[in-house]
Amino acid sequence: MADGSPMTGFDPVELAIMGNRLDAIVREMTSTVILTANSSVIGMARDFSCSILSADHDIIGVAEALPVHAFGSNLQGQAMAEFHPGFREGDAFLNNDPYNGNTHAADHTILVPVFFEGAHLFTSVVKCHQADCGNSVPTTYFAAATDVYNEGALVFPMVQIQSDYTDNEDIVRMCRARIRVPDQWYGDLQSALAAARTGERALIRFAEKYGAERVKAFVTAWLDYSERRAAAAIGRMPAATLERHGRLDALGEFLPEGVEIFVRITIDPENRKAVVDLRDNIDCVDAGVNLCQATATGMAITGIANCLEHDLPLNSGTFRRIEVLLRENCVVGIPKFPHSASTATTLLADVICNTAQSAISEIGDGFGLSESNMFLGVSTGVISGHDERGGGDYVNQLFLMGGGGPASPEADGLDTFTVIAGAGLCYRDSIEITEQRLPMLVKSMKLVPGTAGAGRQRGGVATRTEFGPRGSEMVVMQVTNGVATGPRGVQGGHDAFPGANIKVHADGTEEVLPGYLHTVLKPGETIVGIDSGGGGYGDPAVRDPARVLADVAEGYETAGRAREIYRVAILTDAEGFATGVDAAETARLRGA
Amino acid sequence: MYRISVDTGGTFTDVVVTDGQGRLTVGKALTTPERSFTGLSDSIANAAEQIGIPLGQLLAETRVMVYGTTRATNAIVERKTAKTALLVTEGFPDVLVFRKGGKLNALEINAPVEPPYIPRALTFEIPERMNAEGGVETALDEAAARAVLEKLGRIGIEAVAVSLLWSIANSAHERRLGQLIEEILPGVPYTLSSALNPTIREYPRSSSAAIDASLKPLMQTHLRDLKADLAAAGFGGELLISASSGGVMHIDDVVQKPVYMAKSGPAMAPLAGIAYTRAEEFGNDVIIVDTGGTTFDVSLIRDGAIKYTRETWLGTPMASTMLGMATVDIRSVGAGGGSIAWVDDGGMLRVGPHSAGSVPGPACYGKGGLRPTVTDAAVVLGYIDPDRFLGGRMKLDRAAAETAMQGVAVQLGKTIWETASAILRISSETMIKAIEDITTNDGVSPSDSTIVAGGGAAGLNVLSIARAMKAKNVVIPKTAGAISAAGGQFSDIAIDFSASCYGASDAFDSAAVREALGGLAAQSAEFEAALRAKGVDTFRRQLFVEARYARQQWELEVELPVDWAQEAADVELLETLFAQQYQRLYHVNRKGTVVEAINWRLRVAAILPSPQVSWEGPSETVPGERENRAYFDGAGHIATRVLDGTTLPLGCEIAGPAIIEEPTTTIVVDPGMTGRLSHSGNYIFEFGGNHG
Repeated sequence: MADGSPMTGFDPVELAIMGNRLDAIVREMTSTVILTANSSVIGMARDFSCSILSADHDIIGVAEALPVHAFGSNLQGQAMAEFHPGFREGDAFLNNDPYNGNTHAADHTILVPVFFEGAHLFTSVVKCHQADCGNSVPTTYFAAATDVYNEGALVFPMVQIQSDYTDNEDIVRMCRARIRVPDQWYGDLQSALAAARTGERALIRFAEKYGAERVKAFVTAWLDYSERRAAAAIGRMPAATLERHGRLDALGEFLPEGVEIFVRITIDPENRKAVVDLRDNIDCVDAGVNLCQATATGMAITGIANCLEHDLPLNSGTFRRIEVLLRENCVVGIPKFPHSASTATTLLADVICNTAQSAISEIGDGFGLSESNMFLGVSTGVISGHDERGGGDYVNQLFLMGGGGPASPEADGLDTFTVIAGAGLCYRDSIEITEQRLPMLVKSMKLVPGTAGAGRQRGGVATRTEFGPRGSEMVVMQVTNGVATGPRGVQGGHDAFPGANIKVHADGTEEVLPGYLHTVLKPGETIVGIDSGGGGYGDPAVRDPARVLADVAEGYETAGRAREIYRVAILTDAEGFATGVDAAETARLRGA
Repeated sequence: MYRISVDTGGTFTDVVVTDGQGRLTVGKALTTPERSFTGLSDSIANAAEQIGIPLGQLLAETRVMVYGTTRATNAIVERKTAKTALLVTEGFPDVLVFRKGGKLNALEINAPVEPPYIPRALTFEIPERMNAEGGVETALDEAAARAVLEKLGRIGIEAVAVSLLWSIANSAHERRLGQLIEEILPGVPYTLSSALNPTIREYPRSSSAAIDASLKPLMQTHLRDLKADLAAAGFGGELLISASSGGVMHIDDVVQKPVYMAKSGPAMAPLAGIAYTRAEEFGNDVIIVDTGGTTFDVSLIRDGAIKYTRETWLGTPMASTMLGMATVDIRSVGAGGGSIAWVDDGGMLRVGPHSAGSVPGPACYGKGGLRPTVTDAAVVLGYIDPDRFLGGRMKLDRAAAETAMQGVAVQLGKTIWETASAILRISSETMIKAIEDITTNDGVSPSDSTIVAGGGAAGLNVLSIARAMKAKNVVIPKTAGAISAAGGQFSDIAIDFSASCYGASDAFDSAAVREALGGLAAQSAEFEAALRAKGVDTFRRQLFVEARYARQQWELEVELPVDWAQEAADVELLETLFAQQYQRLYHVNRKGTVVEAINWRLRVAAILPSPQVSWEGPSETVPGERENRAYFDGAGHIATRVLDGTTLPLGCEIAGPAIIEEPTTTIVVDPGMTGRLSHSGNYIFEFGGNHG
């Protein structure tokens, strides 16, 4: 089928219309989650995804999902069929087991098999990152976990949570007994179930309209179509074998050396296929940073897909053209029980994707992307304490970050990108809503001039956020990569600076904290998170001087860096406003 | 006496005139951006000519004129507003850069983002800080503030927006800055966020204040000139301005708050929708669609009430500028006559997102466009007569449309007619998705709703869309080509007053909420008193609360009985109404969960007399009709009646296949569809909804 000629077997117009329907259904599910979610990690950071599986457990639609969630519901659909061969209408299953296709234990996935005329036709899937999952410590990213027992999450390996559309109260009670802030979890469970059932209703209407046989034929044609799109996009690239290293910086005592990552990519335009080989990496480590099959595969695919087309349909058809080679018991592969994959959606997940997309740029100018911010500092940390204003105890994750995005061959990076696993989809918290909810004061949140990785196209700019408690102590916990290694530029583009977490003591002295941190702030103390800009793309000394001027005028860049790095001389007026480019001096600087 | 309503769009200025008997006349003329009054008076003159009186007489005999314009929207989008400075709390200069975060497409890593509405270079940090309870964390540094304002004077700033954190809890610092602006920059207009839009969340509030301030110099001049020009032309009636809130405002009020002029014209369309639907006794659930050359706009009326939103973006959601005010919810998708059809690498037919625009335009325009568009498809199918496009004002080239179609047809292995038909279907599908986006997300079923269609291109596929969506029925009014202007005939004077006051249902501070709502009531009373002095005596108040379940991230707006505010103590009722709304939208009953109320809105409408719509019908008795061949999906080329809409008698039945040519739109009636021209002058097609 993948020969690029006109399609046979299914009308291309009907295909477009039915494909559009499917996309609308996933979007409706997605908007249900956003609008009904309880915890900020879901409703604000959009750390959730909705997808639709075929009867054969192929992913057929994942519109608007976080990249790190784009792959894996297919594995979960297979697990549902394996563990519950008699699944039927009205059932819903809960799976959060990274050993059964899930991403990490904090991601509670709801699977609802959708029946039409008595037969299983689709599965509607909603995966939401819970604010807590019952770990032995109050974090959902337990990087120090030596194994799953130490991690301590309550694990549901494809457990039936509803039959006949009614909750299994045993499961609800188990979670309520072990998950911190149980009402919050319960609200988010209801939100996920509502979205999955919304998908079910819409898919049944879809089947009613077209009939089961046509729907099945459509699914086949849709996956084939998507595969042709991916094949054509890869077919336009030159043949290449690319090798690149990436790095997870040292974390605490449990990962004193960090993890060195090696990615090998083969672009095979003749067979219109890409292969990402992650096998040549170290074994699983006795920490929570191991990836699992879903996230290692998903982020490798994303690294390639980010360099293809913006409107490529993401589904199992597309994925057939991007092969990911994993091995068992590998830190970026298929984990060996009982290794922990507690942070499988961040840290190494970002490293894999950044390394893959920046490796693609080695094909030549015009290909690939630079690296994105990979620092998730205290401005996305989990804070906890007691609200002296009468609000009781609180535990909450903040989203007061920017995070510079990667530069492409044509465009600068975004300033509110977060990290590559989030791809800029995450919303940020309102300062006022945050301060209304929590007993804290945000002292500042602003861009830092001169932090973008310089380039012909520059990265996004870094953000600095500072906050502290009001009347009582506040515990801040976070784990992040990118405190030693900054996002790298490509094709002559410069690297961006690493990020930093800094505690500001009451007397004003500053203490730099490591990537893995757990600290207590007293009233009067504050903490600062400075994330990274994105890496640059191409030589900064050829950047259009008008754009350098605009960057200096708007305070994204400094006049000093303009001169030294971009080799552009900026004129300023008496008020300090940048007013123009000194053409002669710029020519001299650039000629030298 | 007459009532005139105007919609000055980007291309055309539409005018609708009603006389004492409610008879409607539609005038149209080209918009003249260099001097907007020329287009306006041409358009009114066009209507006067149809009525059979001179322009001067029509203006002299007009009691009310409602004016809507894209002028403000265009100025915002093109950044052609005043040189405006933004003053913010120290530490937070990037509120307009960060916006709410987020973007639409994960794979588009470098999605284009517009620069912040006020440049960072013109954003100034003021040392000061309030906290969530309105306490002063950092006192206002007046010396620093003075230094900033003096600098603004030196650099020739023309307007100032002030938006400080927590000014909604304590506006003292904002008010003090206002005084300093008056002292140091006398005559420079300014906007305080706490006065304009006192709602929680700093981004939408700051954005609305920035837009408002930036529009002040421009809109003050524009409206003053308009008033003078109209007076010189003989207009002595009352001039009202259409606002984004779906009502109209007096010039003096809108000059104070010109942010209301954004989306001024399109916000009137739903008013026409509900008026026409009620005239036909089709109930209170209405979907209004408005199809122009490049965009398809959808708005919604549920249970007789216009759907509002605080998420109106002037461009791509999350990457452009948010209006920040409660406005009529209008969803736009890029779909129109100019959308280009193409075949992608996977062999699938696509329509858009690229548009041929007006230059080169569709292939049939003969201006060098080589790629087939939706308009070309309509020409190829025989729906648009190349000799009668826009009433014959523009000749189209059918051969060019067919040649362009051939390219795509070959790729698909289909005939040009099958291809053209497919292009219309896919274009319809984009529109269906936009309709669903606003209806299903709001718990409204199209099968219980009436679709009212407006816009020049609406008639091409609205009937097939309605059939595909199983809508109850479709109303295509004679004024379809000027639906926003028509809405101005039915508008009331309306204004919103907002307050932010937190209240959780398990620890509800009735006294605090009562005080906040009392403040809104006082502002409303003042507003009403001013109107009473002008002879308006019927008012309607509506109370809304933006609330969420405890810990949720986003709010829903729920209407409360207006007398709820008196005690502000019936928490049970608030919980019940919220739970009902929640269940309607999400099919989950969460009654019993704590509800957090955060923003309150009191809407005051001063009811203006609106015309009882009537349509006289033609003077000739013989309907103009000819026969043509047109292509319909499933039927092929068949004999099709082409009816001259202006000659059809009221009550006339229409059976498809047929094409109705109206001066401002063309209606395609597929085989098997039947409809009629109602006595109010609307084309009515019923599809039965769920019961059909």
